[in-house]
Amino acid sequence: MSIMEYNGGSVIAMVGKDCVAIASDLRLGNQALGISSNFQKIFPVTDRIYLGLPGLATDVTTLRERFRFRVNMYTIKEGREIEPETFAHLVSSTLYERRFGPYFIEPVMAGLAKSATGGFKPFIAATDLIGCLNFAKDFVVAGTASSKLYGVAEGLWEPDLEPEQLFETISQTMLNAVDRDAYSGWGVIVHVIEKDKVTTRTLKGRMD
Amino acid sequence: MSRRYDSRTTIFSPEGRLYQIEYAMEAISHAGTVLGVLAKDGVVLAAEKKVTGKLLDLSGAKEGGYGGSGEKIFLLNSNVIGGVAGLTADANSLINFARTAAQQHLLQYNEDIPVELLAQRLCDMKQGYTQYGGLRPFGVSLLYAGYDKQYQFQLYHSDPSGNYSGWKATCIGANNGTAQSLLKQEYKDDIEVKAAISLVLKTMSKTMDSTTLGSEKLEFAVITLDPETKLPKAKIYRPDEIDQLLQAEGLAKKEEDGAMKS
Amino acid sequence: METSFAITGKDYVIVASDTTAARSIVKMKEDEDKIKAVSPHLLMAYSGEPGDTIQFSEYIERNLRLFHIRNNYSLTPSAAASWIRRSLAQSLRSRKPYSVNLMLGGYDTTSDTPHLFWIDYLGTLAEVPFGAHGYGSYFALSLLDRYHNPEASLEEGLEILKRCIDEVAKRLVVTPGKYKVKVVDKDGSREIEL
Repeated sequence: MSIMEYNGGSVIAMVGKDCVAIASDLRLGNQALGISSNFQKIFPVTDRIYLGLPGLATDVTTLRERFRFRVNMYTIKEGREIEPETFAHLVSSTLYERRFGPYFIEPVMAGLAKSATGGFKPFIAATDLIGCLNFAKDFVVAGTASSKLYGVAEGLWEPDLEPEQLFETISQTMLNAVDRDAYSGWGVIVHVIEKDKVTTRTLKGRMD
Repeated sequence: MSRRYDSRTTIFSPEGRLYQIEYAMEAISHAGTVLGVLAKDGVVLAAEKKVTGKLLDLSGAKEGGYGGSGEKIFLLNSNVIGGVAGLTADANSLINFARTAAQQHLLQYNEDIPVELLAQRLCDMKQGYTQYGGLRPFGVSLLYAGYDKQYQFQLYHSDPSGNYSGWKATCIGANNGTAQSLLKQEYKDDIEVKAAISLVLKTMSKTMDSTTLGSEKLEFAVITLDPETKLPKAKIYRPDEIDQLLQAEGLAKKEEDGAMKS
Repeated sequence: METSFAITGKDYVIVASDTTAARSIVKMKEDEDKIKAVSPHLLMAYSGEPGDTIQFSEYIERNLRLFHIRNNYSLTPSAAASWIRRSLAQSLRSRKPYSVNLMLGGYDTTSDTPHLFWIDYLGTLAEVPFGAHGYGSYFALSLLDRYHNPEASLEEGLEILKRCIDEVAKRLVVTPGKYKVKVVDKDGSREIEL
């Protein structure tokens, strides 16, 4: 039994055309026993950045609180919201701080970065549990269903999806991947981030 | 020999007074005025900026940030704004401490810090600096305007000794006596934010040295409840918003001053 | 084996725990109260390592009391839960972690709502409509999935609780003998005889 699989849960993020999406399941388990079907693993960081924290549930809460602390201090001192790239490095360094006694979490983040011309550029990234960054251009996955998520996403994802198509793609990827994973599932939540709005939808999934 | 006494910054005088604290308070009574009024549905804070030179770069205050020019009025947490009078450098360090304390509370309890608790946190530190060797007291008084679920809107004042108290309307800094007696006459218990804004600006215009008010001399902030989310909403006005407000209140400068500015 | 349940209803939370104090395979005691009223509107059922449970629950109780004395108001159930979770999460990465599992049931007097939290020794916190710890949880949770009603009256809630207790008595090899049941609502907490 690996500690990364103790509570179960998975997160995926995808890039679209001028938008990004991030989705997770809602299960909290104690190994095979389900405890909650409403356990949030994705948290808003700013209006345009969302962070997913699959892994050991106690560290989900601890890290969520620590990132909130550090982002709030950044925002209030800097007088502006943090950019996705900057935030990704904040995540990375926070995890690497605990290199020899890590948090058992593999964060996934999705956001829109301000570009020099004033527009917004899709951004996704993931790290391992000690903060090694992976800036992907298409999609990133993590959690107990990650191997299945890779497979489905590889087949469904294509470049330049519009927000509605991206929502459909990420939802189908998530729903079908978690059905093949005993430790993930019990409902799915999807956030689609666009430059002027975030659409959040909760999907019903199989309850077994 | 003298070092035995100097290393203790604050010791009682033979008359039983703590001179260093009194000096610190004296320093504050020359600083720019900060004025706060507690209303039924919000709290209003205004501050006078003392010296502004023509060459001081204020471009940062006009755009960006969370409003204000960051000299006298600061956001301490999403539910508390602070107004400072006294040594700016000391104030900066206190504000940083307050913000960290507020976030520490959020980390521990998943709840915004209650206003009084935040004031207490700062006062614990301020008091410590009046007692331990080798330290000088903070030369800063603060006003805390905030909201929490338990006691709704509140206004607190803390001084260099580490004393704090809650107020309906109060004032720190230069001319605070005049302002306070004005407030005492004008304050009504069921005052609302709109009236409180007028009261603050009116009192401010009477206590400030200059005859006309303008954004280069004034900082202004209001904390209210968002009608939709029912969460506290702190608004620190930007310079152009202050000018608009003064215009609306009929306290703005004459036309020729406006022409000079452009 | 140790078992505890908790159920939320319309405007209350029922917390139940078995009363055995065991050491290895020997029952030392059959009337141990393992539900503590840690503050006026907060009940905490604890199970786990015998010494740790007492030590930890008293630590929590005293600190919540201290908070009340210092600040003249009590923490809300969710704020208390966050703080308790943090204590456990910090302890987990210390030299000698507490091994205590908790069901925390409370009534929030500021918003007039009942709250129930499932907390384990790792510092995992989940707000749930019903929950359980110990071997009994394998039977009780599936039963509660079927019969739990968030709008149930206290009498109905206690009926559902009885079903859980009976099922555990029927199916679990090492069944706890007696249970203590407590309820928290707007008037505070009290014990109930089943």
